[in-house]
This record gives sequence, C-alpha cells and structure tokens, in this order.
Amino acid sequence: MKMAVFLGCTVPVRNLSYELSAKRVAGELGLELVDIPEFGCCGYPVKSVHHETAYLLAARNLALAEERGLDICTLCSACTSVLTEVSRELTANEALLDATCKSLGMLGRRYSGKVKVKHFVRVLYEDIGLEAVEKAVKRPLDMFSIASHYGCHYLKPSEIYDRFDHPEVPQSLDRLVAATGARAVDYRTKKDCCGGAILGVDEETALSMARAKLDDISNAGADAINLICPFCSVMYGANQRKIGAGRDVKYDLPILYYPQILGLAMGISHEELGLMQNPIRPRALLAKIS
Amino acid sequence: MPSMLQDTGFDARIGVYVCHCGLNIAGVVDVEAVRESARFLEGVVVVRDNRYTCSEVGQKGIADDIKEFMLNRVVIASCSPRLHEKTFRTLLEKSGLNPHLLEMANIREHCSWVHYDNHEAATEKAKGLVHSSVARARLLQPLSRTKGRVVPEVMVVGGGVAGISASLYLGGMGIKTYLVEREPSIGGHMAMLDKTFPTLDCSLCILSPKMVEVAECENIKVLSYSEIEKVEGQVGDFRVQVRRKPRYVNEEKCVGCGDCVAKCPVKVKDDFNRNMGTRKAIYIPFPQAIPPAYVIDDQNCRYLTQGKCKICQAVCERGAIEYDQTSYVETIEVGAIIVATGFQPYDPRGLPQYGYGRFPNVITSLDFERLICADGPTYGKLKRPGDSQVPKRVAFIQCVGSRSVASGCRGYGLDAETGSSVGATDPKAYCSRVCCMITAKQAFMVKEKYPDAEVYVYYIDMRTAGKGFEEFYQRGRHEGIVFLRGKPGEIEERDDGCLRIISEDLDSGCILDLCFDMVVLAQGLTPPDGLVEFAQKMNLSRSEDGFLMEGHPKLRPAETAIDGIYLAGCVQFPKDIPDSVAQAGAAAAAAAVTCSKESIEIDPLGPVIDEALCIGCKLCEMLCPYGAIKVELTDKGPKAKSIEVACKGCGVCGASCSTRAITMKHYTDSQLTAQAKAILEVV
Amino acid sequence: MESAQKKDVPVVTVLDPKFKYEVAREPGGENIKYCFQCGTCTSGCKVAEFDSKYNPRKIIRMVILGMRERVLSGDFIWLCATCYTCHERCPQDVRIPEVMNALKNIAVREGYIHPAFRAQAELIAGYGRLYEVDELANEKRTDWGLTEIPQGCPEVAEIYGITGLADLLSGGAGGKL
Repeated sequence: MKMAVFLGCTVPVRNLSYELSAKRVAGELGLELVDIPEFGCCGYPVKSVHHETAYLLAARNLALAEERGLDICTLCSACTSVLTEVSRELTANEALLDATCKSLGMLGRRYSGKVKVKHFVRVLYEDIGLEAVEKAVKRPLDMFSIASHYGCHYLKPSEIYDRFDHPEVPQSLDRLVAATGARAVDYRTKKDCCGGAILGVDEETALSMARAKLDDISNAGADAINLICPFCSVMYGANQRKIGAGRDVKYDLPILYYPQILGLAMGISHEELGLMQNPIRPRALLAKIS
Repeated sequence: MPSMLQDTGFDARIGVYVCHCGLNIAGVVDVEAVRESARFLEGVVVVRDNRYTCSEVGQKGIADDIKEFMLNRVVIASCSPRLHEKTFRTLLEKSGLNPHLLEMANIREHCSWVHYDNHEAATEKAKGLVHSSVARARLLQPLSRTKGRVVPEVMVVGGGVAGISASLYLGGMGIKTYLVEREPSIGGHMAMLDKTFPTLDCSLCILSPKMVEVAECENIKVLSYSEIEKVEGQVGDFRVQVRRKPRYVNEEKCVGCGDCVAKCPVKVKDDFNRNMGTRKAIYIPFPQAIPPAYVIDDQNCRYLTQGKCKICQAVCERGAIEYDQTSYVETIEVGAIIVATGFQPYDPRGLPQYGYGRFPNVITSLDFERLICADGPTYGKLKRPGDSQVPKRVAFIQCVGSRSVASGCRGYGLDAETGSSVGATDPKAYCSRVCCMITAKQAFMVKEKYPDAEVYVYYIDMRTAGKGFEEFYQRGRHEGIVFLRGKPGEIEERDDGCLRIISEDLDSGCILDLCFDMVVLAQGLTPPDGLVEFAQKMNLSRSEDGFLMEGHPKLRPAETAIDGIYLAGCVQFPKDIPDSVAQAGAAAAAAAVTCSKESIEIDPLGPVIDEALCIGCKLCEMLCPYGAIKVELTDKGPKAKSIEVACKGCGVCGASCSTRAITMKHYTDSQLTAQAKAILEVV
Repeated sequence: MESAQKKDVPVVTVLDPKFKYEVAREPGGENIKYCFQCGTCTSGCKVAEFDSKYNPRKIIRMVILGMRERVLSGDFIWLCATCYTCHERCPQDVRIPEVMNALKNIAVREGYIHPAFRAQAELIAGYGRLYEVDELANEKRTDWGLTEIPQGCPEVAEIYGITGLADLLSGGAGGKL
C-alpha cells in the first residue's frame, strides 16, 4: 500500500517525532508513505476567512497527489477534515469541479476528482486492520494506562468519514490502544474538544477547555495521553505547564502520538520514535518499560 | 337520449369547459385566452368558461349544451381527475352519454398551482393541455363496465385498539369479520400501557372489556399469531392468504389454568415487559390476553429446540399441548380489508448520545409504562433498572426520534463490543403527536406515586392540542413538574449510575448542569416493522414519512388509493387512542358500504389482445404484477388471455408487448399519440 | 441596528429581514432558516460551557431576526471552535459550524476580521503554510533522517490573488475589530 503523506504546517516543524514515528511504523506495516515537497497549506485555517480560497488550497494539494496517482494519508486532523470535505465535494459536484479546475489551470494544474483522503490512524484501523496491528506487537504495553483524545476533525463531521467510527461513542483509538496491550482508559470528557481552534481568539476559554480534560485524564489514572493531531498537541503538550501553573498544579502527563505507542509495542527503540523530543518528556513512562 | 350521439361513426362534437375554480386557476391562468385557443380546434362545437364548473350551475350548463349542441364528447379543464372525474362522468351518464367520453385537463395542480410565479407560462401550458385533451377526446370510445361480485365479509389486519374497534363496529353491524393479529394476543400497544391521558384511565381496564367483546362476538373470528402472506383480487372480492403460526397449544382445549407455566423449566426475557422481567417458554403475554390460551415460544422451548422435556404436556390435564402443530396457510375471501397494523416505537439506540442500551437507568416511554404498571416486572414500583432503587429525580427528554432530519451521526449506533452497527434507525422529521401528552401523563404519575420526587421535562415545544390536554398540562405544572425549554445534547453516566445532563435553559438563559436518577426518553412513533413489504403485498403506497398513504389527506383519511382497502390507527400516521378509535369507525363504515353492495362496477380499463399479433412470448405474463394475464394454449397456438377481475389496468402488458398485440382500453396508442402530438404542436 | 438601551434592556427597533437570505446564499449557510431554536447546539457546546459570550443558538436567532451589524461586528462569531458536536446533533441539520464560517466570511468582506485570523491568513500567504520552514528547521529534519521541505510555496500566494483574498486583506480588512 502506497500513499502520499500530507504533513501539514505544524508536524514537519514542531512535531517531528510524530512524523518520524508514523513513517517508521508505516514502513514496518507495509504502508509506503511518499513525501510530496510541493504540498502547501491544506486550507483549513482560511476556511472561516475565505471559503473559496480554502477550497482552492485544498484542491491544489489534491491535484498534486493525483499527479502522482496517490491517495493522501494525513497526520493532522484539521488537514484531514478540509481535504476530505473538498475531495468529496469535488467528486459530487461537477459544477464546482469545473470552476475549481479553471482556477487550478491558472497555476498550470488540473484535478479530475480521484484522490481519497484518510487520516493515518484511520488507515491503520481500516486498511492495515486491527488484526495486523495486533500481530505486529512484540512487546505488549500492559504496564501502560493510556487515555485517548479523539479530538474533533478525526471523526466529525461524520458524514464525510463514511461513518467509520461513531462520534458519540468513538472506539477506534481505544481499540488501537488496546491492540498494543495497554489499558485504554475511559474518562468522562473523552469526546470533548481541546479548544485549540480558539486559542488566538480567547486564550482563557481555550485553556479552560484543555484544563478540564487534563484534570479528568489525570483523575482517571492515565499514564499518558494518546494524540493524533498536532493542533491538540499544542494544547496538551506545549501549553500543559501554562495550564497547570495558573493553579499550582503540575500535571506531568506525557503526550504520545499513536504511532509512538504502537512503535514501542512493536519493539522499536524510543530514540527511533523520538519519544524524548515530545513536548512532555515521558521519563517515568519509559522507566516502566525497562 | 339518442345513442347515436356517441356512435363513433359520427364526427366528434366536443364541448370544452375551462374552469376558473374561483381564483385558484383564474388568479394565474388567463382562462379566457385558454378558452379562445380551443374555439377553432377540430371537432369543437362549443367553448365556455365557468367560475366553478363543479357547481350546480356549471353542471347544468354542460347538460344543456349536450342537448342543444348534440355534444358527444366533453373536455373539462379544471382540477385533478382524482377530485371530480366521478362527478362529471355521472353528469355525462345522466345526460345520456357514455361516461368514458369525458376527458379532463388538470390546469390547476399542473398549471396554476405549480407555476404560480409565472402566469404567462402557466397559461401556455394550460392551452397545451386543453389542446391535447381535445385531441384525445376525438378518439375516445364508449366503454361498458363489468360487474364483480361482493363477498360481504371484512378482514381487519392488526389487533390493537384500532383493529379491535373496527372489528366491533363491523361485527355489530352483522358483518362477518376476521381479525388477524401477528402476536399471540390482541391488544397491541394499548395493552402495554398503564394509564391513558388525559383522564388517567387504567389502560387495560378500558381495553379488556372490548377484547372480551371481540372474543364473544359471534361475527368476529380472531386469527391470532397469524400474518398476511398474499393478497389477490379487487374490491368486493379479495382472496387473502393468512399464515397461521403454530401455538403448540390447542386454543379450544386450553383453559388457561397455568399448570404448564409453573412447571416449565425455561426462563427467558419477557418481551411484553420490554425485556425487563422474565417469563417461561410456555406463556401467556398478559393475564387478560385474548384468546386466553397459552403459547409455546419455539425459539426457547427445550423440547422444540433440543427434543427433550415435554413437562408441560405431562402436567396439562386437558391434553392441550400439541408439539406437532406446524404453520399453515389459510385462504380467506373478503370484500374489504382494513389495515390497522399500528406503529413501532422509535429505537433510541439510533441516538447513542442518550445512552439507551448502554446506561441501564435511561429508559423509554414504553419501558416506563411497564415499570409503573401493577402487572409489570416491578409490580408497579418505579424501580430503576440499574439497581432497583426508586428514583428521587426523574427527567424526561422529548422528541427522541421525532422532529429531526436524518443527518450527521443521528440514526445509527455502534455496538461498544464489536464496533458493528446496531439500532440503525433514522430519526423522523414529523412530530409524533402523542409524546408530549405521554410525558405529561408519566410525569404526573411519578408525582402521584412519589410526591417528593423531582420531575423535569426537557422539551422543544409542548404540544397539547386535544380535548382536556392543555388542562392536563396545566395540572402537571401545578403539581410541581418543571418544564424546561431546551433540548439536551447528551446524557453522561456517572460512576454511581446517576445521569448527568448539561443543557441550555432557554427561558432563564442559564446553562443547567443537573443529575438525575433516571431519564425517560419520549420515543417517537415510527412505521411498524415490515411495513414496506406489507405495503408491497397490498399494492399500497406509503407517504414520505413511511406510513401508509390515505386516499385523500383531508377527505378520505380512512381510505386508500385502492378501492376496498381502508386504514385505521397509527399505520396511517401517529395518533392517540380516541383518534385511532374514530378512524377505525370511519374505516368500518367505509368497509360496510362496500359490503352492502350487491355487486361492484369494475372500470373497463384492461387490455384488448389481438390474437393475430400475439406470439405467446409470455413477457406480459411475467411482468403483470397482479397475475391478471396468462398465456393459454389455443388452437392457434399459445395466446395471452386477460383475467378481467384481477386486472387493475396498470398498462404494463400493453407497454411491454413486443408485437403490439395488446392495446389498453381507454388508453389506446392512437389516443395517447394524438394527445402527445397536440401538446408538442403548442410547445 | 438597535436603538438605545433602557435599563439594560436591549431594545431592537430595526431588523434587516434580508440578512437570513444573505447568509443562506453563502456556502455553509444554506440550512440556517430551518432552525427551530431547540437549544441542542448550546446544550452540548464546550465553548458555551466556559464562555457566556458564545451561544450558537442565540447567534442563529440574531441572524434570523436580522441583527446584521451586531452579528457581523461581534467577536463572538470567531469563538466557534469548529468541534462539530452541534453539527452532529442538530435535529434540523442547520450545520452550525458552517453557518459560523459563512458569517465570518461575510464579516471579512464587510471589513471585520479577527486579528488572529488575519495574522494566520497572512502567514500562509507568505510561507505557503502557517510556519516558516527555514534552514535551521531543514537541518534538523535532515539530522532526523527526514526529507527537506522547500522554503515557501509561491502558488499559495497566487491562489490568494486568484480568489481575491489578497485584495481583501490589503484593503484594510480588520480595521473595525
């Protein structure tokens, strides 16, 4: 299986360990991820400012993948949502496809509507399959308790994701965590949003939203948070200390990207997965393994 | 009247009447222009426009013209033939013309109503339709109707309160009635209710006398545990095949002593009690069941599944247990059928955010009825299923499965264990009409039994239109029930089994974050299980909401588009008990009208088969949905033959005949071609 | 739009009845008129739980009433976290996050853009993405065995030109907020 990997803006600069571990794990599981250097912004951040621009930015990326005859595998949930939405719209709406092609033509590009988009984790869940993931586990992480944060755009709006998981009772991440042998921790606010999208508009509200979940996850007895989106990582990783400092709380709750968790279970060394490069260094966690 | 008028040897003499229908047509279509455009068409002798063609004055004008101008064809441009074709056919008949020499152009529904925003185009289209009607009218032929027999008996399908009521009305009129029920007992959903709104009558106390009456009425035969397999024939003369499922208990011999139940070793979940209690493999659904006979659940009976046990047979002193019963089909002939197959409560697993099926203390309205009922699994104590505690704070959520379009993730659930889809039920766009009052009643019952309980109702709009309903709602508020405008997004279950609801209280502007011991979901009413297949068997249409379509939304609410088939109760649309009973009365009256006739005139709309052209290919036979055309061997080889009584005149045979041997009466190729050509000329 | 306040009672005397149609014509705003004010959106809204300034039901109400200026100039429309919880549950398929996007799109054209969103849009025009990939970043990538990423992506700026967003941004949008 071969797909174009869409890194987005944040991952290749700020979350290298996510990229590194995803590529490493993918290789082991027979998923070839191809870099396309010309990929630009997915379009998500300008959708609320200028709809047409967002659509065209997304379409340009789809066109780049189509040129190489590849479907797109994403690492960021926001990228997933806008690229999926636009790819589906362009397949369903011929008039929109025509208009988009006209604009793409000015860039010397064309698109015929063939590219499908899937989040990396969804590829693991649906295409590689839970069974294959389980089989690849060599070092079950039964000493870990991991709380998954689904985030929003990995599951919603559900109509663009073929109902592969249910946004009201999501299971895919928990099942993937359980596949590594770790205990999937259930917690009350599991479905809630990290607040990242409004960090620049109202920092206090955004951090309150993140704080509610951090409190909940800590109380639920999790060793770490499983993340699949670099935006959420900003809230729980980069801002974790800030959130705690306001109330004299030290969470020390490592965040792990799912491919890192899986990689550990597959017996890959933590250096190769970039674990110590994560925003919160998972020292205590790694001590549990050795 | 001289019959030569309609002799087609004479030239057509056509009168054209364009109706204003008040402003319904004239407000959009230029009626005078339409009238004038028809004046010089071939065969047209007289053209007129009327304010109301269907009025006494309008009709008399046409009758006078037929005499004065010796008309032999009439074209009326007005509303849909579904409304007035019968009126004008009768007029022609009274005036000495064959009723089939009438042609109607629908310039209201097809012109003024749909093109209300474009008067000019509507007028042009009306002209086209009138011209095409004139073209067809020239070629119309007089047809004679045939007579079919009437079996003066009725079948009522569905033994809920609607079916019971319809049967009693019919039985009371002396009409032999078969009441078919798929469950082991009649009673339907009403038998599961504890009380009824707004009078708080005990539901079974008022239903069970009616059920007993059914059992005792010599004109009513109850076919319980039976389903409709096939329906053939037409009004006055239906042949219905009924599948009788085996009870394994002889209804005549069983006296309901209950010895078998006491000894039966198999316990299973009790579906009548919404799976909250248990029953035995041999059981009676509820004490007042009709017929009052036991039934063996063959999915769970130890003898029927594993071949050993036979305890019930051993203890039955009457020898009523018959393990060798098998299912069989009984054919019953009736003149009319009343469909009263009811509804199915919405399965809230389609909205997993409310946790039904995951959180034991989230229940539905129907679950609540069983819990609060003296004969229910808790003997009338409102014990919440999670831990059998009596709840101190109860919430109700309205519009669960109603007033919602199916989009987003609404309508499908996922099984937490397997990840596979469960309870995939789309929520419905319509208001289910009864849930507001059901909740008002249930909230009141909680307060009545447990005055200290706190009761909250989350709603979007409270709909209490009905006799005594608003007063009941008022009484509920007075009792201290708190009604909260604002629909919750989800229910969370806390570790102690209590249920947390965060919602916006629209009236105070606050976000409410409250915990409850039990939440009742006011599930909507949806079309009954299997209605799609059932409608196909009966050739009935369904409306967009999925329920069976009535003959006319205003004027024929208890009838269907098929003569001789009538509707009663929730199968047509959700309604409460009095409305179901009233509709049952209307359906019974309509069925009785049919049964009172000595014979039924059948429209002569079948195929005419030219034997010289027919090659006996059997295509028509294969395609006919009514089995009304069969290829028979004649001395000239295999030839198609029409079976007139079964034919509904749909035209499939005519359209599919490869050698054009089949012509449809009243819709001949030449008539339809002339009609189409005339329209194209105007366009 | 609205007149003087009487003891904190916001009295509205002028409504723009066309506003709801304007929003309905915008991509994402198509279903706004179906709203029957059930409150499901706000009930499940995490932002509304933490910040009383944001109430999606009320925003939709204001649009349907026609309080155009107040809605477009308000910073509350920028507070939707686009988590789509309401979108999944809305019984009338109003598609609330898309309605918010539609409102923000109109607001931008009217000269109201939230500075954070302006900054994001400008960064993307410049770098082709939200963050600059400079030499240092690429060095680090190479050290990690990851491929280098080209600095900048000129086609993104071209797209801003094609769609007119470049003109909107340079035309002083954002001045009023």
